[in-house]
Amino acid sequence: MQRPDWAPDTIDIERPSVARMYDYYLGGSHNFAADRAAAQAMVAAVPEAPLMAQANRAFLRRAVHHLADAGIRQFLDIGSGIPTVGNVHEIAQQLDPGSRVVYVDVDPVAVAHSREILAGNEQAAVVQEDLRNPEAILAHPDVRKLLDLSQPVAVMVVAVLHFVSDDDRPAELLRTLRDALAPGSYLVLSQASDDGRSEDERAEAERVYRRTDNPLWIRSRAELTALFDGFELLDPGVVWVPEWRPDTPESAEDAERAVFMGGVGRLGD
Amino acid sequence: MTESPGANPYPGTFARAWAKAVSGTSYLPMTQAQLESLLDRLTGQLAGALLTEPFDLRAGHRVGAELVAAHIASAEGLGRTVEVIQLRLVRDLGLVAEEVEDRMARLLAAVATGYARALRDRTLDEQESIRRAAMRARTQAERALRASEARFRHQATHDPLTGLPNRTLFTERLAAALNEPGRGAQRVGVCFLDLDRFKVVNDTLGHQIGDLLLATVAERLRKAMGEHLVARLGGDEFVILVECTAGTDDMVAVAETALAAVRTPALVDGHELQISASIGIVERQVAGANPTDLMRAADSTLHWAKSAGGARWALYDAERNQRELARYALSAAIPAALERGEFYLDYQPLTSLRDGSLVGVEALVRWRHPELGVLRPDSFIGLAEETGLIIQLGGWVLAEACREAEAWSAGGAAAPFVSVNLAVRQVHRPGLVQEVRALLRQTGLPPERLQLEITESTMMSTAEEPVRALRVLADLGVRIAIDDFGTGYSNLAYLRDLPVTELKVAGEFVAGLRSPSVGRTDERILASLVSLAHALDLTVTAEGVETAGQAERLRAIGCDAAQGWHFGRPAPADRILARIR
Repeated sequence: MQRPDWAPDTIDIERPSVARMYDYYLGGSHNFAADRAAAQAMVAAVPEAPLMAQANRAFLRRAVHHLADAGIRQFLDIGSGIPTVGNVHEIAQQLDPGSRVVYVDVDPVAVAHSREILAGNEQAAVVQEDLRNPEAILAHPDVRKLLDLSQPVAVMVVAVLHFVSDDDRPAELLRTLRDALAPGSYLVLSQASDDGRSEDERAEAERVYRRTDNPLWIRSRAELTALFDGFELLDPGVVWVPEWRPDTPESAEDAERAVFMGGVGRLGD
Repeated sequence: MTESPGANPYPGTFARAWAKAVSGTSYLPMTQAQLESLLDRLTGQLAGALLTEPFDLRAGHRVGAELVAAHIASAEGLGRTVEVIQLRLVRDLGLVAEEVEDRMARLLAAVATGYARALRDRTLDEQESIRRAAMRARTQAERALRASEARFRHQATHDPLTGLPNRTLFTERLAAALNEPGRGAQRVGVCFLDLDRFKVVNDTLGHQIGDLLLATVAERLRKAMGEHLVARLGGDEFVILVECTAGTDDMVAVAETALAAVRTPALVDGHELQISASIGIVERQVAGANPTDLMRAADSTLHWAKSAGGARWALYDAERNQRELARYALSAAIPAALERGEFYLDYQPLTSLRDGSLVGVEALVRWRHPELGVLRPDSFIGLAEETGLIIQLGGWVLAEACREAEAWSAGGAAAPFVSVNLAVRQVHRPGLVQEVRALLRQTGLPPERLQLEITESTMMSTAEEPVRALRVLADLGVRIAIDDFGTGYSNLAYLRDLPVTELKVAGEFVAGLRSPSVGRTDERILASLVSLAHALDLTVTAEGVETAGQAERLRAIGCDAAQGWHFGRPAPADRILARIR
């Protein structure tokens, strides 16, 4: 497909998008040839890639379930990607139709797609913004309109922080978000981790990730735990995502194959 | 003969095995328990289909479609489903039916068909929706780009201070007005407007006030000009483009309106400022006009309005422009003409009124122009003074005069001095003394045979340096004459301070000697000048003497020498010298 001259770089569907690659890992068809090619290359290098995505999505589902059960009715999902199967608003609004959800993503196609999916849903909105610009997210009119920051909010930073380099100071980004939240709010965080892997494995993983357009910033359990600064970590803390409150004991088997670690923290009163 | 699947404990062994088989084939947005419960229900439907008579394909289709709807929607999901049904359904549920193998094959075919159909539809739907999203995102990006381009274009074509169109936009509009097809018969005009003495506002009240004033003027012009394009070209320069004019009267009306708009006093930050403007008007037919010429013409016309005192408009005059262009071309040609030796000197005698002897000659430069013929100094000296080329040209004249004059003493008789005009710039230039000294040394001309003529205006400046230079030259023995005395300020003070040797009295006093009525006054002035000069120990030469009568009266007054047609026209050196041999 020939890309017209006027199309800005951001809408180049010949360049793989991490959001659409993720959709492919989940078994969706909301992706283009370039996304599939990149995803397949990734699978060839890291056969667990689809499993990682699925395990991470399941973690998101369980976390939202838990938070909804804990009374949370406001969700801010940053790095939401293609909000297809089993997304936050489906889970949260199934439990309480009054739940409010704002999705945030930097990918304009993902945002346009979200907008289509959310059409007619008064309780949900999507905002095109970058996690690296938390002030703009918090100040966005749609965020202000839908979310009451004086009440508890669950901030989801799921499977996105590994695209944020240390130079972009992830701890400061999260602190900015935290400072805007009311007591009783939650942070749901997950990202790729190499915890407990050997040096060889780590080197191999990094080599693979470097080949992709979005190099990953892998972080250890200790680094992830430190990012929950100011939050009280819920049990079982920062773990491989399948280990976070599994539906069944079997589903937590071989948890480290999921590559993602995550946790949920609560902002104290 | 059949066993109801509902009789099995929930969820059945089969459903659990099935759930395990499809786990991980794609993301399933549900708990394992929810998955098992779903598959348990579908197990019932499969068992029913296997046993129901007549066999109903649609039950199998429905199961396939439901699996896809529940996101068990991958190739692996189907493969494992077929496998687990084939291997375990009959056994786990203890189903007993006739031709069960045959029915199982048809059931699996129906499930696979329903599954594939649903998956295909779902895939197409998702593809369509992501493509639509990409298109929408692209449209949005395009719109954003256009908006930013429009913003950028506005910034690029407008002046941020006044919000008026800038030079870029004006140039575009003018080019369009001149170049659009079918406009040749129309007329177009521009008013080039410049505020008078705007710099004074900036210098005295500061740039902030100056900027506010510009914004005020801009706003007034915009309002007053209505549909005509008003642009700010920069600084305090504005331009008004008038399309489809009926003639110069239209343009004059526009200019009057603009001048009136500027003239109204403006209250700027507490200061009441009264400012005026000058306007150059050009109006012409579109056919044959081009933007560069039009703007150049408007610019020169603006300068005519300025040099006429400002607060007015001037209308472009092709002949006047032609003359100025010719003058400009002439001055530009001076350096090359000097190199090619196109200049030469004529000399006009300065004759003693006492004995009729030749006391000196005034060197007068001529230009033998290859196309225009011989040009007299009045057609190029003024220009050379304006452009500064006078330094070069005057230097050449001085050197040539010294060189030629030195040769005259070979004649034996007392050779006349040579009088050379010095321009203001030459006198004020450092190095004059060295230049003259070097010339005298190189040519061997005695200093007392060189006279330098300066005008009164040369001495108007308060600079010390020129006076010092003249004094050094006078000490060398060089004669210093004041040219055109009596027409300027005739400041007597410098006559006392300067090392002047001679006064050259302007020709207009001498001209007055012709008519008896005026002549009386002029004669008295001349007589006073002569006695004044003599009192200061200066000699007096009268210029412009054309008749014997004038010469006689000047002699009677006591004037020392005279110059003019009566005593000889300017001529080449050899003709002058013939008189003294």
